[in-house]
Amino acid sequence: MPVLLRIALRNIREHTSKSLIIGSLVVLGVIIIVLGNSLLDTASEGVHRMFIDNYTGDVFLTGIPRTPGATVSLFGLSGGGETEAIPVFPDHDAVLVHVQGDRRVTLATSQVTGLGLVGLEGSDNRAITVFFGIDPATYPALFHDTFLVSGSSLRPGQEGLVVSRGWLTSANKSLKSELTVGDKLLLNGFGHAGFKIRESTIVGVVDFNAETQGMDLIAWANADTVRVLTSVDVSADDVVLTKSQTDLLNATSENDIFGSPETSMSAAAARTPAPESAPAAASLSAAPATAGSWHFLLVRLADSRQADSFIKDTNAWLESQGIAARAGGWKVAAGPFAQSIDVIRIVFYVAILIVSIVAIIIMMNTLVISVMERTGEIGTMRALGARKYYVWLMFLTETLAVTVIFGLIGIAIAAGIEGIVNSLRIPAANFFTQVIFGGKVLHLGLSPLSFLNTILIVAGVGLVAHLYPVIVALKVQPVQAMQSE
Amino acid sequence: MTIIELTNVKKTYALGKVEVEAVRGVSFAIEKGDFISIAGPSGSGKSTILNLIGCIDTPTAGTVDIEGRPTAGLSDKELTILRHDAIGFIFQSFNLIPVLDVYENIEFPLLMGAGGPPKKERRAWVESLVAEVGLEQWRRHKPNELSGGQRQRVAIARALVTRPRIVLADEPTANLDSKTGEQIISLMKKINREIATTFIFSTHDPSIVQEADHVIRLHDGEVVENVRTTEAAAVRSVE
Repeated sequence: MPVLLRIALRNIREHTSKSLIIGSLVVLGVIIIVLGNSLLDTASEGVHRMFIDNYTGDVFLTGIPRTPGATVSLFGLSGGGETEAIPVFPDHDAVLVHVQGDRRVTLATSQVTGLGLVGLEGSDNRAITVFFGIDPATYPALFHDTFLVSGSSLRPGQEGLVVSRGWLTSANKSLKSELTVGDKLLLNGFGHAGFKIRESTIVGVVDFNAETQGMDLIAWANADTVRVLTSVDVSADDVVLTKSQTDLLNATSENDIFGSPETSMSAAAARTPAPESAPAAASLSAAPATAGSWHFLLVRLADSRQADSFIKDTNAWLESQGIAARAGGWKVAAGPFAQSIDVIRIVFYVAILIVSIVAIIIMMNTLVISVMERTGEIGTMRALGARKYYVWLMFLTETLAVTVIFGLIGIAIAAGIEGIVNSLRIPAANFFTQVIFGGKVLHLGLSPLSFLNTILIVAGVGLVAHLYPVIVALKVQPVQAMQSE
Repeated sequence: MTIIELTNVKKTYALGKVEVEAVRGVSFAIEKGDFISIAGPSGSGKSTILNLIGCIDTPTAGTVDIEGRPTAGLSDKELTILRHDAIGFIFQSFNLIPVLDVYENIEFPLLMGAGGPPKKERRAWVESLVAEVGLEQWRRHKPNELSGGQRQRVAIARALVTRPRIVLADEPTANLDSKTGEQIISLMKKINREIATTFIFSTHDPSIVQEADHVIRLHDGEVVENVRTTEAAAVRSVE
């Protein structure tokens, strides 16, 4: 064993009290880091299932809003002008072809979103709902982390609603009803073309395998219904008025609040403010009415870690093509719900930072005391021919030895705590704890990367903590060996 | 052959706002292989002279030449290498590394410099030194398990391990009883005779001084006597 390591290990044993002061700090820090990292790992996995697997995908493409600073998520537009709606995706088909041609992409689907109210005929009660107008041919392949509770999924060309069990519970409360598959609902939407009402039938009820957030607000509908509700241009061929819709239209003279597909389309054409960029305007005007318009493109990648590079490349391509659309990550798609994840992460990192700073200060003081006590020893080494780097190496070895030894003890204790916590099966009380827990029950697990991360943080703390004491040690002159008693 | 030469060396320390002259224009030369005592009462400048010769302190004025090479102007790194290769130290308080045993303490200086002897050769050399100072049975003992005399024997072996041309001993018997002190001086003298290493030791003990071949006596930072053994004996008899 190298002599410096021998000296380091024996000094740790000889100076028990100092070693224990530093060691207990390291152990405490490591426990916090390990548990924090485990929690972040768990939360990260939960987030993946909660958002990416359920409704955002890895990458989200949308048109650029007119108002600078406005943001678009799957739930709508925020920060935009009063009359501004979610921008219609420009050159949708060309972008879709481009995206599907990328080797990193496994699946892509399109979506149109609308906010509205759901009610029953003859009742004044309403339930707020976010309508996801989907392409049934591709959507289920992307977001397959659900299971059918009753009814069926939406089929291509089929009109209807698929709702989650959570939505059903919430809507039943608001509508004071017992909704089930086959029930007809009145859907109210408001777009720039005015107030719209459509009738739609619940065709299926699904539930999620993983925890979700925001999904209790969502109902999946055929895209054209959502287009009409939100005044997005729509295929005339695809929309057929149901009997109840016709009855509804016949029952009132206020035609302006019951937009037909045709009036909706013409209204959209007439009232949609001209997009700022010329290419976008060109694409809108050129978009065939039969194709239908979309708000978003949602993309799944073979490897989620490639999201950043894919986004960068896609945005470069969109810019080069003059298409007024941008790609973003799942957090952009999830909108406000994703912000809580960042808040939680920041809280953990701040906690780790605080613990690290406290540990560094205490370790530094303890090491400085140690240097002062060992002035004679250092002076002797220097007198005997030890160069300054050798003294530095000695303190570095001692600091790293103490941090690694106690770091491993800390990891072992943290692993024990994790085992105990996991056996307790602590339930998540609310959304925030669900995000942290990554599910309904807390289950901690440390990934190899986090293990490495912990060791690096601890070693980093040790390295920083040893700097000042080493500076003090290097100032010790060989002549001080003569003065030691 | 002159191995050390001090020419008009002065050393002044700042003690608060007061300057203290520890050494006042000292000049002398030391021959290779001598067994030299730097004698004098406390505060006479003995330790300062040893520090200057040992390159662990620098003079305020004057020059110190080691093996014909002036030490003034050498960098910290050059001085460290010079100390490691040419000079061995024996300290009054032994200054052993507390966590290392006898064998490891003696071996330690060989592990600090680059390009030391191969492991097998190193081991044989260290073992021979352990035997030379009579500590074979104590080779795995830590310093706190040894008597003062044994610790100083370890220090002597450690000072010799790099095969230095000069060994400096700062009051090596000060913390020992007289009998042990005599044994230590005898051991140093024996080694001096065997391997012709120049030994320079400071002391204020007259019985130790008389063991030296060459005595340099200091008083208030000045050389008051600089005589070879026979001359020193003659001076003592006249006194």
